[in-house]
Amino acid sequence: MNAGWTATRAWLLMLPLLIVMLSVIGWPFFDTVRLSFTDARLVGTGGDFVGFANYERLFSSRAFRRAFLVTTQFAVVSVLVEVVLGVLVALLLYQNFRGRNVLRALLILPWALPTVVNALLWRLIYNPEYGALNALLVQIGLLDAYRSWLGDPNSALVALIVADAWKNFPLVALISLAALHAVPHDIKAAAIVDGAGALARFRFVILPYLAGPLMVALVLRTIEAFKVFDIIWIMTRGGPANSTRTLSILVYQEAFSFQRAGSGASLALIVTLAITVLAVVYVALIRKSAGAQF
Amino acid sequence: MSTLDLIGVSKSFGRTEVLKTIDISLASGEFLVLLGASGCGKSTIMNIIAGLLSPTSGEIRIDGKRINEVHPKNRDIAMVFQSYALYPNLTVERNIGFGLEMRGVPKTERQAAVLKVARILKIDGMLGRKPAELSGGQRQRVAIGRALVREPKIFLFDEPLSNLDAKLRMEMRAELKRLHRLLGTTVVYVTHDQIEAMTLATRIAVMRDGRIDQIGTPEEIYDRPATAFVAEFVGAPPMNMINAILDANGLRLEESGQRVALTIGADAPREVILGLRPEDLHLADASEEHAIAATVDFAEPTGPTLIVFARHGGNPLVASLPPHLQIAPDSQIRLTFSRKNMHIFDRASGNRIQT
Ligand SMILES: Nc1ncnc2c1ncn2[C@@H]1O[C@H](COP(=O)(O)OP(=O)(O)OP(=O)(O)O)[C@@H](O)[C@H]1O
Ligand SMILES: [Mg+2]
Repeated sequence: MNAGWTATRAWLLMLPLLIVMLSVIGWPFFDTVRLSFTDARLVGTGGDFVGFANYERLFSSRAFRRAFLVTTQFAVVSVLVEVVLGVLVALLLYQNFRGRNVLRALLILPWALPTVVNALLWRLIYNPEYGALNALLVQIGLLDAYRSWLGDPNSALVALIVADAWKNFPLVALISLAALHAVPHDIKAAAIVDGAGALARFRFVILPYLAGPLMVALVLRTIEAFKVFDIIWIMTRGGPANSTRTLSILVYQEAFSFQRAGSGASLALIVTLAITVLAVVYVALIRKSAGAQF
Repeated sequence: MSTLDLIGVSKSFGRTEVLKTIDISLASGEFLVLLGASGCGKSTIMNIIAGLLSPTSGEIRIDGKRINEVHPKNRDIAMVFQSYALYPNLTVERNIGFGLEMRGVPKTERQAAVLKVARILKIDGMLGRKPAELSGGQRQRVAIGRALVREPKIFLFDEPLSNLDAKLRMEMRAELKRLHRLLGTTVVYVTHDQIEAMTLATRIAVMRDGRIDQIGTPEEIYDRPATAFVAEFVGAPPMNMINAILDANGLRLEESGQRVALTIGADAPREVILGLRPEDLHLADASEEHAIAATVDFAEPTGPTLIVFARHGGNPLVASLPPHLQIAPDSQIRLTFSRKNMHIFDRASGNRIQT
């Protein structure tokens, strides 16, 4: 059997999948690209070709820049909180103590909940009239009067980040916990005998084993956080005063609320491009960190 | 230069008792080799001395001071782990110098110390590499280097040479012996290799199932094994064990009924084991009365000796004979031995009967 036939056969076997992929992803993608150069409305005319007008208008619009900033803030801060909290919780649950297994099982709960449920729960917690957060803060004396956490442009984004981090830190914690169990016992023992303190042991013994899996978690979470839509849509719909309007929300408003399919498409493509860049950078980082270790 | 004492040390994991009242007392500068089958508790003893495990009961003392509660890093002990336990993302140089780095030794001093040790271990050409870029033997030497560089009170070596080839192993063995003589540090050393044990040890502890069967100099262990287990475990090929009955007139071999007159005896007949080392057996002249008759299975020339595998009735019998003898399979031979080389053990308890 020659190499040519092997290659041909490989393509033939992949053909059905390729056709499906092209029709459900490829076609809409190319149509989105085409749309982004038109002034098409969601309903009605196909629109006329307008060149880069949509892109020019977007890049110069304050709404876009603001949304980009909000998205970046949301992604960076929530992923950072998730990673730090996740690793700390993993280190805690790695210790030997009574009830450890129960806590490990409970850990998965926030992550297992559907985003909608999580979002509604946090709306209850943040509720300005009977929310648990207000009650708690007032009772311990940190707050004088109940506040509207989601209604205040100064606190809404932070409140959202807390809710999102709460939902997603268990994923990081679980991945870290698995990585911790992969650290060979003798290496930890050697570091103890060598006189390394807890911090040095974390830095030189634990971290090398944690870095790879953590990087994967970081990639997944950053990309997900960058295209966040559901939790924000349920909790604030991008408000108040657009203080939580991320790029995905902006795409939705542009394409569906304002029915501007053309400029919505160009915005969607920009978000896609940004995520692709992120993914490529991260994959390169993962390659590098994996190669350095093993 | 430190003394080390283990007093009534035991260790259980849950309900399994892994160590049962271990007593070891080492003078300063001693080289103790722990010898024993896999799983008998050697690594567990090492971990208890290092402080990585705490004993269920008993006391550990360095220089006479109880250290049970002292943190491992303050015990001033260096350990070579059975699995090397190198830090995967640090270079060889930093791996070796890690203990010094953690103890705040300045960089230039550290580098000099690392280089010195690396030269001795012949790994000075690979100081910039990561452990993943080393062979098993090289990794093992890095692990040894990490201990040597520290100049601690006590060295713990858990099978440090097990992954080296024969030649390197011999070189490293000689090197460790030389270093021990030079530094005079107290050492506890685990090995499965009897030659390593015999050549390095000032004393050997032979362990079985979490107990020490015998602790003594290599000569004592070899010449006067305290139990049948020690007798069989130390020596290659292992000691021949022949079932016999000890009575008022001496020994009677169970297989053949042949008698061996002895100065000691037993009032009531007693089931014993007669132990004879292969190298203590010789071909008997026709005139010799006290010889064991055996049928040859096969013979293996090893160079300096001819190892003859034979049977005395149902009892296997191995003899180390001079080379170049012509001994054909299925031929009959008669083997003799000198009384002073006999080892007699009680069959039920396995304990040596004084002869
Ligand atoms: N953490 C543990 N929990 C339960 N049992 C253990 C634990 N560690 C060791 N053991 C048991 O203790 C016994 C002694 O183990 P140890 O590692 O000391 O053996 P060893 O003499 O070093 O063997 P080897 O020559 O194979 O290294 C073994 O039977 C082992 O199964
Ligand atoms: Mg062991």
